[in-house]
Amino acid sequence: MNLRQLLFRLPHYLGASGSPRRLWWSPSFDTIFSVGSWRGQSSKSPAHWNQVVSEAEKIVGYPTSFMSLRCLLSDELSNIAMQVRKLVGTQHPLLTTARGLVHDSQNSLQLRGLVVLLISKAAGPSSGNASCQNYDMVSGIYSCQRSLAEITELIHTALLVHRGIVNINELQSSDGPLKDMQFGNKIAILSGDFLLANACNGLALLQNTKVVELLASALMDLVQGVYHENSTSAKEDYITDDIGISTWKEQTFLSHGALLAKSCQAAMELAKHDAEVQNMAFQYGKHMAMSHKINSDLQPFTKEKTNDSMTFNLNSAPVVLHQEFLGRDLWIKQIREAQEKGRLDYGKLRERIKAGKGVTSAIDLCRYHGNKALEALESFPPSEARSALENIVFAVTRFS
Amino acid sequence: MASRWWRWRRGCSWRPAARSPEPGSPGLAGPPGPRAAADACSQAHRWKGLDLSQIPYFNLVKHLTSACPNIYSISRFHHTTPDSKTHSGEKYTDPFKLGWRDLKGLYEDIRKELLISTSELKEMSEYYFDGKGKALRPIIVALMARACNIHHNNSRHVQASQRTIALIAEMIHTASLVHDDVIDDASSRRGKHTVNKIWGEKKAVLAGDLILSAASIALARIGNTTVISILTQVIEDLVRGEFLQLGSKENENERFAHYLEKTFKKTASLIANSCKAVSVLGCPDPVVHEIAYQYGKNIGIAFQLIDDVLDFTSCSDQMGKPTSADLKLGLATGPVLFACQQFPEMNAMIMRRFSLPGDVDRARQYVLQSDGVQQTTYLAQQYCHEAVREISKLRPSPERDALIQLSEIVLTRDK
Repeated sequence: MNLRQLLFRLPHYLGASGSPRRLWWSPSFDTIFSVGSWRGQSSKSPAHWNQVVSEAEKIVGYPTSFMSLRCLLSDELSNIAMQVRKLVGTQHPLLTTARGLVHDSQNSLQLRGLVVLLISKAAGPSSGNASCQNYDMVSGIYSCQRSLAEITELIHTALLVHRGIVNINELQSSDGPLKDMQFGNKIAILSGDFLLANACNGLALLQNTKVVELLASALMDLVQGVYHENSTSAKEDYITDDIGISTWKEQTFLSHGALLAKSCQAAMELAKHDAEVQNMAFQYGKHMAMSHKINSDLQPFTKEKTNDSMTFNLNSAPVVLHQEFLGRDLWIKQIREAQEKGRLDYGKLRERIKAGKGVTSAIDLCRYHGNKALEALESFPPSEARSALENIVFAVTRFS
Repeated sequence: MASRWWRWRRGCSWRPAARSPEPGSPGLAGPPGPRAAADACSQAHRWKGLDLSQIPYFNLVKHLTSACPNIYSISRFHHTTPDSKTHSGEKYTDPFKLGWRDLKGLYEDIRKELLISTSELKEMSEYYFDGKGKALRPIIVALMARACNIHHNNSRHVQASQRTIALIAEMIHTASLVHDDVIDDASSRRGKHTVNKIWGEKKAVLAGDLILSAASIALARIGNTTVISILTQVIEDLVRGEFLQLGSKENENERFAHYLEKTFKKTASLIANSCKAVSVLGCPDPVVHEIAYQYGKNIGIAFQLIDDVLDFTSCSDQMGKPTSADLKLGLATGPVLFACQQFPEMNAMIMRRFSLPGDVDRARQYVLQSDGVQQTTYLAQQYCHEAVREISKLRPSPERDALIQLSEIVLTRDK
């Protein structure tokens, strides 16, 4: 089965109808799409973002979506695809994750790979070093850098899959048969491990121990970041942990920034750029990832027409900032007031938050990180690739 | 010749493999004092003109096994054979003690690699590095490191990077255990609750990922790209081994090959490749690398085969984890596959992975009635002999001899 056939059949396997929203940010899946328009013509994705991405993809020479799915075409994974198919009709999160991987949208777009390729191209070959002469270069990017981009996506996807494990003893009868959940967990763990193993092998092939160390430490950061996401998620009474914005920033760096930042740095290392260039690439990756995350967090508060019952993450940037301005006690009071018979009225709470300073603060924070990212880019020579990276920053910092 | 060997062996202490041990008998030390038995043995032979203490160690093992090829049990008398004359026999008869000399502080050092700020995650990751595991893999790695270094240039020095391989091997092994326990929904291991039972599945999976990432960082810091390639192969093999376990083969003949391949990938690959990695660090000769790899591979497969046997013959207190675990997971291991040759009725149960009520108990009974356990043990012996044959090609040293002894321990262990 080649890539095209797999992509054509996957959405069919995974079922086209909507699924319960386990991941609050997952886009709705009521559009069936065909491979021809894989870029996602659904009216929900902003045309501007798509334009930025498609321009960028032309610059790096080929579409970067579905990168991690390419490694999924081995024998094992036709096995896995069949196993995941058995989960259709159950409520295991793996199904949602798998759908998210094939469905193109702002949140699940394979952004990291694209950014790594762009920054590789923007930096170009290093001035001093002749040892890269024997690497082959396509569209201004070394093959080892392309490989690195793929590895980055593999690591990201692996943890995405591992995020979808469920705790067996927290299951309720509404979640369906226990057997299905256990089976889903099994497949999720194995698929995630398979992706990680592929990433490790890919890293070994790069024959550069510093790059291996960078990406391994990025993985360690990512694991800690995901751990925090799990732990700080709201409990039954919707009261979140008391974390201030600086702790939030640290945790978000771990879960969203570290991988991209360190990959960008590693891409520079592969081309033998010096420490200064590596640092600039790191800064771009870090700040761009932070502003991208804050932008996603802001969507429920800045979109014109929001469905009142649409939920949002109580640990997202605007909410954390709102809490910090209000003080813990008042915040808890607001949550309680927004509850009716133990269920949170998200619409009501959203209005309270919008009335406060959380949203505007978050917008400022997003722009702050965006500017830091642009600053880092200034040290790269002007080029198409650099402009594409700038455009990405502009796209995530606009809220009109 | 054979009859003399028989009489002499009966004079020394021995325990047939695969029989449940008496309670209270220690796993490793021979029952009478080592010196007493050694004297008895050498006395038994002196009248024949054969002085045991003069025979090079590995030849002794060879004599034994060639003289009695059909015996399934192995004597442990050789634990008591006095070794080199410059050290007391007591000190080096135990390969574990010998290996541990280089591994002091192993668990503390692993915990240093896991030093992160998130306290619960750190606690979970450190959970199995409490010093209570067998640490078989680090021991083999440490002994192999010395054996290769001595073979290469008589160096009695172990490089820091070689010691790091021991850490990495144990970390990769533990990470895979943590994930396997979630996959198998296991409740106990090494005599205590599993990570997934205490903290839940979500966090357990993350803990496994953390240990793996820490191992990768340590690996990268060694700074040797060949070694990185060798050990990343292990990570891939571990996952593929789990996949092999998911699927099953229809054909009886294919089943055994499938079982051996799974055994290699899940257990032997780590040992084989860690041995190869330390040999690469210690010695430039590819012949030595291959010897190390083959030793690790054969010992690893033997180890797993005996593990599969113990799942039938041992009781759960001894093992620290429940027995008949493999059957309950639907896995047909060595003893089952052999038993199936005698009792074809088992085929249907194997195909449905022992899923019907009563299947597990019936299968267990079939196995215990058949010679499945003995056959599997015999096969394990063959692999051990091959391991010994390979390692014997290295220059003699206490560590090389300890590795040979280890193959016997692998066969006769009871947990």
